Amino acid sequence: MKQTKKIAKTSMLRCFTMLSFFTILATGSLEAFAGVAKTSAALMMAPITVTGKVTDSRNAPIEGVTVAVKGAKTTVITDAKGAFTINVSDNGTLVFTSVGFLTKEVAVKNTKLINVALTEQVSSLTDVVVVGYGTQSKKDLTGAVTQIKATQLENENPRSVGDMLRGNAPGLDVGFDASTKGSNASLQVRGKGTLTASSSPLIVLDGVIYPGALEDINPNDIATIDILKDASSAAVFGARSANGVILISTKKGKGGKPIITFNDNIGYNKLANKPHLLDGNEMLEFRGEAIWSMMGYDSTSKAGIKYKFTNPSKLPASFSQADWLALDGATGDATLVWLNRLRLKPIEIANYQAKKMLDWEKIIYNDNALQHDHTISIAQRKDDYNYYFSMGYLSNEGLTVGDTYKTFRTRLNLESTASKYLTIGVNFQFANRDESSVPLSMSDVTRTTPWGSMYADDGVTLRVSPNDDNGNNTNPFMEQFYTDRRYQYNNLFGTVYLKGKLPFGFSYQANFSPRYDFLTEFNHQSALNPTIAAKKGIVDRRNQTVYSWQSDNILRWNQKYNKHTVEATFLFNAEKYQSWNTKSHAENFAPNDNLSYHSVQSGTAGVVVSSDDQVSTGDALMGRLNYNYDQRYFFTATTRRDGYSAFGQQNPRATFPSVALAWAINEEKFMKSTEKWLDYLKIRASYGENGNREIGRYAALSNLSSGSYVFVTSGGVMYNGSTVQAANLSNPNLKWERNASFNYGFDYSILKGKISGSVDMYDRVTKDLLVNRSLPSVVGFSSILVNLGEVENKGTEITINTVNIEKKNFTWKTTFGIWWNKNTINHLYGATPDYDATGKLIGNSEKDDLTNNWYIGKDINAIYNYKIAGVWQISEAATAKTYGYKPGDFKLEDTNKDGVYTIADKQFLGSTSPKYSFNIRNDFRVFKNFDISFTLYAKIGQLSSFSEATNSQLNGGVVFYDRSNFYKIPYWTPTNPINDYAGILSNVGGPVSWNVYRLSSFVRLSNMSVAYNLPQEIARKHKIEAAKFYINVVNANVFTNWIYFDPENKNGTSGGAPTPYTINFGLNLTL
Amino acid sequence: MKNNIKNIGLLACLFLVAASGCKKDWLTPNPLSIYSPENTFVDKAGFTSGLAACAKNIREEYFGDGAPLITESTFSDIAVEGTDDKSGPAQNMDMQIKPDAQLNNPDFNRIGWYWDQEWIGIRLANTIISRIPKATAVSDADKNILLGQAYFFRAFDYYRLTNQFGDVPCPLSEISSAKVDFATVKRDVILTRMKQDLEFAVQYVPWLTDKGAVNRGACYHLLAKINLALGLFDDAITASSAVINNGTFKIVTGRFGVDASIATKNVTWDLHRPDNKALAANTEVLFLVTDRAGSAGSFLYGTTGTQGTRIMRQAVPGISIASNIITPSGKVGISASGGLEIDIMNLYGRGIGRCRSTPYEYKDIWDDTKDLRHDSTSGNYMFMENVRYYSPALKTAGDTAYGLRMRLYAGTKLLCVDTLRSWYPWPHYKLYVPDLDNNPMQGGHSDWYVFRLAETYLLRAEAYIWKKDFASATADINVVRTRAKASAYTTSQVTSIDAVLDERARELYWEEARKTELTRIAYIFAKTGQAAPNGKTYNLASFSTNNYFYDRLMDKNIFYKTNFVTLHNDMFKISQYHVLWPIPQAAILGNSGGRINQNIGYSGAELNAPALDKIPVE
Repeated sequence: MKQTKKIAKTSMLRCFTMLSFFTILATGSLEAFAGVAKTSAALMMAPITVTGKVTDSRNAPIEGVTVAVKGAKTTVITDAKGAFTINVSDNGTLVFTSVGFLTKEVAVKNTKLINVALTEQVSSLTDVVVVGYGTQSKKDLTGAVTQIKATQLENENPRSVGDMLRGNAPGLDVGFDASTKGSNASLQVRGKGTLTASSSPLIVLDGVIYPGALEDINPNDIATIDILKDASSAAVFGARSANGVILISTKKGKGGKPIITFNDNIGYNKLANKPHLLDGNEMLEFRGEAIWSMMGYDSTSKAGIKYKFTNPSKLPASFSQADWLALDGATGDATLVWLNRLRLKPIEIANYQAKKMLDWEKIIYNDNALQHDHTISIAQRKDDYNYYFSMGYLSNEGLTVGDTYKTFRTRLNLESTASKYLTIGVNFQFANRDESSVPLSMSDVTRTTPWGSMYADDGVTLRVSPNDDNGNNTNPFMEQFYTDRRYQYNNLFGTVYLKGKLPFGFSYQANFSPRYDFLTEFNHQSALNPTIAAKKGIVDRRNQTVYSWQSDNILRWNQKYNKHTVEATFLFNAEKYQSWNTKSHAENFAPNDNLSYHSVQSGTAGVVVSSDDQVSTGDALMGRLNYNYDQRYFFTATTRRDGYSAFGQQNPRATFPSVALAWAINEEKFMKSTEKWLDYLKIRASYGENGNREIGRYAALSNLSSGSYVFVTSGGVMYNGSTVQAANLSNPNLKWERNASFNYGFDYSILKGKISGSVDMYDRVTKDLLVNRSLPSVVGFSSILVNLGEVENKGTEITINTVNIEKKNFTWKTTFGIWWNKNTINHLYGATPDYDATGKLIGNSEKDDLTNNWYIGKDINAIYNYKIAGVWQISEAATAKTYGYKPGDFKLEDTNKDGVYTIADKQFLGSTSPKYSFNIRNDFRVFKNFDISFTLYAKIGQLSSFSEATNSQLNGGVVFYDRSNFYKIPYWTPTNPINDYAGILSNVGGPVSWNVYRLSSFVRLSNMSVAYNLPQEIARKHKIEAAKFYINVVNANVFTNWIYFDPENKNGTSGGAPTPYTINFGLNLTL
Repeated sequence: MKNNIKNIGLLACLFLVAASGCKKDWLTPNPLSIYSPENTFVDKAGFTSGLAACAKNIREEYFGDGAPLITESTFSDIAVEGTDDKSGPAQNMDMQIKPDAQLNNPDFNRIGWYWDQEWIGIRLANTIISRIPKATAVSDADKNILLGQAYFFRAFDYYRLTNQFGDVPCPLSEISSAKVDFATVKRDVILTRMKQDLEFAVQYVPWLTDKGAVNRGACYHLLAKINLALGLFDDAITASSAVINNGTFKIVTGRFGVDASIATKNVTWDLHRPDNKALAANTEVLFLVTDRAGSAGSFLYGTTGTQGTRIMRQAVPGISIASNIITPSGKVGISASGGLEIDIMNLYGRGIGRCRSTPYEYKDIWDDTKDLRHDSTSGNYMFMENVRYYSPALKTAGDTAYGLRMRLYAGTKLLCVDTLRSWYPWPHYKLYVPDLDNNPMQGGHSDWYVFRLAETYLLRAEAYIWKKDFASATADINVVRTRAKASAYTTSQVTSIDAVLDERARELYWEEARKTELTRIAYIFAKTGQAAPNGKTYNLASFSTNNYFYDRLMDKNIFYKTNFVTLHNDMFKISQYHVLWPIPQAAILGNSGGRINQNIGYSGAELNAPALDKIPVE
């Protein structure tokens, strides 16, 4: 433990020592390229003692490898250091076998030292998979489970769990989060099966349902991630498993002596996929077009009128400057007239004349934003204990100036075999997250222009509005400069457990998992900020504490009779969540606000104090039976009964059963003929029901929101009276959303693992959907939370793993996955009566929910809108007018050709869900020491909203291009009569509401990495077990027709960050 | 063995931890920080808080950016939407006011806001009305008062709904399930029921309550409006006289309040100071909504720090916009910065001319220069020529216009390119609400009048006019006029509804919901068949194709009349059927078990079922 402490200190130094170490190694070790020592071989025929070490392809020792003498009965097992000693005849052959590795034979040839590197078996059939409340060999699985091994991704420096999942798991759609935190990517397994409740999968960390934040888990601590996709696998988590389950397992101790690993990397976040923000001169040209557009593209009222907003020095020869000035009777300096016609403010004119332009792209973006990530871990396994301890520090700068995210994370996994029958352990993690940075106001960047000034006339104070357009824009740096913020999380999550062996094949496990989250969110807006000067300082303070706990009691029973294997698991679980949230707000600080947020009591006005405390409780009983006969016929059945307080009024509990079968056909006698090429073929089928409880804790209750309102007595005394009003309709009958799904699939392995993979097909029907059903506003509520309707997801997932080339100095492996999901709303609110024009009942039919945009028989994400048929051209002006539009506006399709736009003209344009997705991953190993990989993933066929194509909207809001700036995208003009982009300031309103959608299909080269493993001989000389250097590029490229920011992240303008690509340099060192 | 015993002990402990949770009520929901109707609407305090929520709900109409009252004003003779640098603002009603168009957005219009918010108001009142009879802890006397006050709020919203949208559904009790089978009820049936409710209220609600709460005067005032709407003119006279004669409320004629000592100011100025509206000395107020800076219940307090009335931003002309106003030498005369040497932005506010008055409102109706409501010498009314060129850049450039009064022309040269938005006079005495949240000012927090006695007089005057009792009408109008120091009218000057509508426009700018009142009057013309000032007569059968509302707009609102085209190339246009607003499409579609009728003139009206003659019993 002394050593641990020492390491702790090292890491607390924010890893500066590690950085220097990295530099030394990076330069020094290159000299160490030397030939591999050759062993001389002499032919003798005598028994000798051979010693050696067995390692994996990355030089890590492998414990437990069986070393056998071919043709003899002698076997030994390698120890924790991978070492072995065996007696063998000098011309004998040693056979090395180990689970998960290809068997290797080595001729002794009188060599006394034989070091062997085993190759990992490509076929993952022998992998141990985590299945929830236990593990299984992949060979014994009956359900659809995908496993991701963290070691495969080591060279890619995943910064979050989302990064590890993205592009590596068919059927799992991982969203994109371009923020510095990078971990709020949405996760969705097998399509969206719910309308209102959360569709995020359940996260299970080291066997315990994890209620915390994914960003609190250091990716470096992760050993494997298993994704339970079909209902039967997920059903052990019953009511919480409807959206699939992601099981994360962290590392455990291995190796006999302590293994210390440093993983350090430094990266640069760089701008990618960002449209150009118009610079000063481009903006003036754009402004001219904008104002011309506001004048209705007038080119007829006077000769040369269309040049009215053209730079007078760029007039065509046929039109003189004098005539140009005369257009509105102007006199004097033509440039000045022009700038005034372009409605420039005095400051903008002055800066134009002084040639002082603000380059906003340089001012706001940080194109070499530094990211560094350091993790140190120490792990060890001994006979009666094992531990893994790590500390990590990550600091990430964002692409916009001042955006930083920092986190310190530490983890301890400790397990001790207290006696032959009892193991106790603890898994514990702590994370500190610092999200204090105040982002720039990106929306203000486009609202101002390049011709403003950053500072006021005194040259030091930030100018309130760079171009003196107060009220329209504020200096984008204003809030960042005048805000003092502390926004920190300190989160603890742990599990203490006990495992006991009982007689007759029973074993018992009890977990207790507490979680504490502490949030402090303090904010002080300085009285010096001129935009709020009258308020003399504003302080907000929020403290939130969350304490939740779970307790699992698991009883297992294992028995094997001949060819029958039976395993039974029983669970009793209870949980409680409690949170306490206190907020305070104050303004007008006296005598001043110099104490920042530390003295909220000095506020003399606007004092608001509020609290929001919540509690919820749950429990569960679960039983699971696994049976197999001769590893050929497999059967699993589970049932889980869940309780949750949100449904506590009438339906507190529900039961979720499942059953699954599998048949390993290749084990059958009649398959003997295929044995040569077919290693493995297992057919699976499962049915199961799962629940979804992810609604608000009090969603079923009528919540009276309270507030205050001023009254004045007849004596003139003002007082705050309270107000109460119901915020929602209660629904005491609310119950669980329920999935019923079938899964059919098979796993295969061909040609000794050269080709392997699986195919799965599923049909998942969700009933009793938790729906915020739209109500006619006459009710006084816009919706009520009810259980109604039915959504179906059908899909297919195909995985193919291939070993393309396997030579001594070159191996190439490919993983390919492709999946598609079809989502359909089968039912919504049931049939309702239909009336004819006279009010007579003519039948019943089920109606769409147009308020929520849900349509029966369509995808949840279907787009039902007016189709953009192009842009109204000058020649169509008269027709355009009858529809309420003018040339340059988008032309909507009048599908029924009745001459007016009504909702009858809406049509289904597609869906925002992809039609299909795929990923391809290629891994190469060259000269034994170089690992190269690249990963592609793609989403094809989805629509995204693109209201910016109207050249009149930005992030869905209307903008003023006679006052502001914009990104460079095409626009229509009478002389550029394009059909896919409207004119500047085109009409986005009109008789009907509509939006622009474009296909946002893409293929992303999400990761490229090259790693060099230092040859062990050289490493040894430097007293290092293993060393690896790697370079990788995250988001190296994206191939798409989408032009506005990134196809997965188009909100780079609304305060969110544009998408970065990141170049990382890393070092992984094992001592 | 020892170990085993220990182990079993440990196991037992863990089991205990797990089992401790398994009490019977383990899964009972336990809301810690929220109230429920069951434990709140049980005593007087609970119902009083419920009524306070109703009052707060009414406040929303007057406040914030793109305040709904703008839409009431732009569908009338007094104003149009002046935003002319983007598409969206409701200017061409023919193209933009459709059931499926954007109907609830400050940048477009707030028709949908009225529809939603009024139903919320009705729901809040219905909850109280349905639960009061069951509240055993409330005395019968208190029950009657609370019920009367709740009736006021419900009637207030139904009065508005029936004059904005015509025939609408009419739920009268708390709805606690997913009801989707509403049917449209005839306007008069609903109003008749509201009349009965208010006749109950005026028996029990006290004459004097705290300002912000409902008193008997407000109930009578609303009753007078509803009686007018039903064409019951005698009843309207009775109701308004009840308030006028009671003595609790009096027209304010003398100086009072915060600026009383400033000799250059006057009673009209005093009446509209934010600090004076709820004073005891202000005997004119029947019902107001409250909004105080720094109070937790202020309008959208603490979310962005930029809320409050924002009235200066909405209704003051755009005297800071772009280069709209230039000096005779052609330099930009304005700036958007506050805190300048000539601090226009913090005196008049950063107006954007969204609610742009018509010449009818700021010019045509003013017939007496002594009228304090149109007086610029005391600073009550502002003309652009009272504003000075204030851009500091003029000073540095040596432009002599700096500090001089703005002019519209230099010779024949127009000095304001956008007169729609940036050049019109405005009532500073009403719009000036000092703003601590914004620099430049946009209009800060202030109480706002909903009903005051001056309007009660004008309601009674209107009733007399319908009854052709012009002498009595003249007397009532003169009470309002002479307070503002305008000369009294002679009976010969009060000959038609014009007299009342003009006086309302003079007295109640940015207080009255003008569209509601015009539609109400259009209904009366159609109902009574009386000849309008234009000589025309109307009937209910052709209400959506021939009505007084449209004819008056064509007569008084020059922008709609001339199809004025804005700088953004949008045309002002309005039609007969706009006398009633469209029912938002979502409400019709969401009501899948029944039919909510669409108003004639809008798509979907062909599917209407006959409106009910009776309010359905739930």
